[in-house]
Amino acid sequence: MSTIHSKAAEAYQQKPEVVERHDKTFFGVRQKRDNMARALPEWEDLRTLASQIKKHTITHLADYLEQFEQNAVRNGVHVHWANDADQYNAIVYDILSSHGVKKVVKSKSMLTEECHLNDSLERHGIEVIETDLGERILQMMKLAPSHIVMPALHVHREDIGATFRRLIPNYASIASTYAAANAVGAPAAPIAPSAVGGSPADDNDPTFLTYVARMHLRQQFMEAEAGMTGANFGIAETGDVVVCTNEGNADMSTSIPKLHIVSMGIEKLIPNYAAMGVFQRLLARNGTGQETTVYTSHFRGPRPGGEMHIVLVDNGRSAILGNEEHWQTLKCMRCGACMNTCPVYRRSAGYSYTYFIPGPIGINLGMLRAPLQYSDNVSACSLCCSCDNVCPVQVDLSTQVYRWRQQLDSLGKADPMKKTMSRGMSFLFDRPAVYKAALWMSPAVNWLPAVLLNNGLNPWAYGHKMMKFPKKSFHQLWKEKKV
Amino acid sequence: MSTREDILGRLRQNTRETYDMPDLSRLQPIVYADPVAEFKHKTTTTAGARLVEMKAGDDLNDIVRQAYPDARVIASNLPEVSAQLNPNTATVEELEKTDVGVIRGEIGVAENACVWIPQAMKERAVCFASEQLVIVLSASTVVSNMHEAYARIAASQDYFKTYKFGTFISGPSKTADIEGALVYGAQAARGVTVVLQLQ
Repeated sequence: MSTIHSKAAEAYQQKPEVVERHDKTFFGVRQKRDNMARALPEWEDLRTLASQIKKHTITHLADYLEQFEQNAVRNGVHVHWANDADQYNAIVYDILSSHGVKKVVKSKSMLTEECHLNDSLERHGIEVIETDLGERILQMMKLAPSHIVMPALHVHREDIGATFRRLIPNYASIASTYAAANAVGAPAAPIAPSAVGGSPADDNDPTFLTYVARMHLRQQFMEAEAGMTGANFGIAETGDVVVCTNEGNADMSTSIPKLHIVSMGIEKLIPNYAAMGVFQRLLARNGTGQETTVYTSHFRGPRPGGEMHIVLVDNGRSAILGNEEHWQTLKCMRCGACMNTCPVYRRSAGYSYTYFIPGPIGINLGMLRAPLQYSDNVSACSLCCSCDNVCPVQVDLSTQVYRWRQQLDSLGKADPMKKTMSRGMSFLFDRPAVYKAALWMSPAVNWLPAVLLNNGLNPWAYGHKMMKFPKKSFHQLWKEKKV
Repeated sequence: MSTREDILGRLRQNTRETYDMPDLSRLQPIVYADPVAEFKHKTTTTAGARLVEMKAGDDLNDIVRQAYPDARVIASNLPEVSAQLNPNTATVEELEKTDVGVIRGEIGVAENACVWIPQAMKERAVCFASEQLVIVLSASTVVSNMHEAYARIAASQDYFKTYKFGTFISGPSKTADIEGALVYGAQAARGVTVVLQLQ
């Protein structure tokens, strides 16, 4: 095995305690999701309906986009269309520059990551402030997200604390208000232990660091001339854009600055409020194992005296629709459940993947984006199919990974050793006499010196000792009627 | 051809097989024998909010004062609340300094403690930027699940008329972005008190 993913994953294994923590953290989210599933008798019905609604909407997408646009325009929203990332970035820059915007606050959007919007705006001299706490931490540390929903869970509190102390100019004055802020308006009785202010003596305490970030971001919200959000859902029948967050950062970004720009992939549409009920109930339960996000906000038009723009982005999505084997990836609502359950993701972490979205859905979306560039990720799957079983919209993720693997040879990306082995196997399987002889001789391998077997050249002895061949093959036992 | 026509054209061209919209009325979602009891339970546990019951004759100002005795700046446009700031007239800069915002919810949802809050004030910043948020909700509005809530919103003519925004809020702003540790008060309200009006 020699893909970039497998090499990066191997390097990641050098710190077993980090691997174990990552694995446990995300499996914990998966278990919370399981508890949510068990609490709802209609769980599987919801998954089936969600898949059917998405299949319907995606195969009538042009009609629904027209309906959505018509309603949004009637609500006073400016609607823009972008073929690709460059067009999208140019549209956003035009809107911002025509309003004289110098600083924009932004809530988490995978689409903006996909199109590298932040880099593009910063090249034009516009300051972009990520407001989701995890995203802000990564932005300050100049790191990429390692997960699409919990992007900074791999970063340790000591490093976050050090970053805040180094990069937040008024850190000291914010820290000095911590004790007082906890006294004013504090609940009469503690709600939960984690809700009570941690000891300010520990300046890496998550509660304290969250307070520092809160006060730092308050200032950004007040200074920014524009707020940007993604869209979890667009509702064709009403023109609503629905954004779900726990922190309320999308709402802060859009209730303080007067200009709101929504970036929305065209596949985010659903027909109506009845469908919205299905997806609202599934998103947080699958993503973080919560019954709901704290905020489920419906933006139907501009604020009084404000402006609202929606940029509808294709960037390859209409081409995916025409791909018979992979079009159902368009059903994905980016909940991250497939990553949390994936044993390969949990033990190799987001940075081992070469596409910016990791895990099962990322493997597929990367191949759809640029197969030659991102084919290294298709090895990051054990075909355990766990992702298929959790995906709330029933994307057949592992089957799709399998299909990509069948195409590797035609892309010139097949592993040479595996190709040789496959040729050897088809030689053996085509010649029963040779096969039987090889089988009869195989236990002889057991007598070879261990150094010949466990030397790293033998892929069957990689990560563990070489297996022992049994004295009698299954073939033999079957003939002797012992199985 | 415009970008819009390009995209719509490609979508129509690349659509092979079409699928019908499923019949959503077939779904049998969870319903609670006592939705109000479930709403109270979810509000005070998973959502992490406080809940105060308000009986006929109780004064909302007293309840707010008792819940937040140290509050200096209260913001509300509810006629029964005596407040320092009114979100219909105050600026966003003023509202950002709010200790306690008092707003009205229209639908409570038992399964997840969500409260539907259609924007009913000029500056909705009061719903998010206040340090603490008080949501006044009539117990008679509580439904079991989100399907019922969305059906009510879709059927109503009252929402999105003056202000084109509405949100479901379930408890205080939360984050677990630092090592997965749950912390209340990330960006928006650090605490929420639901005042449940019993008739």
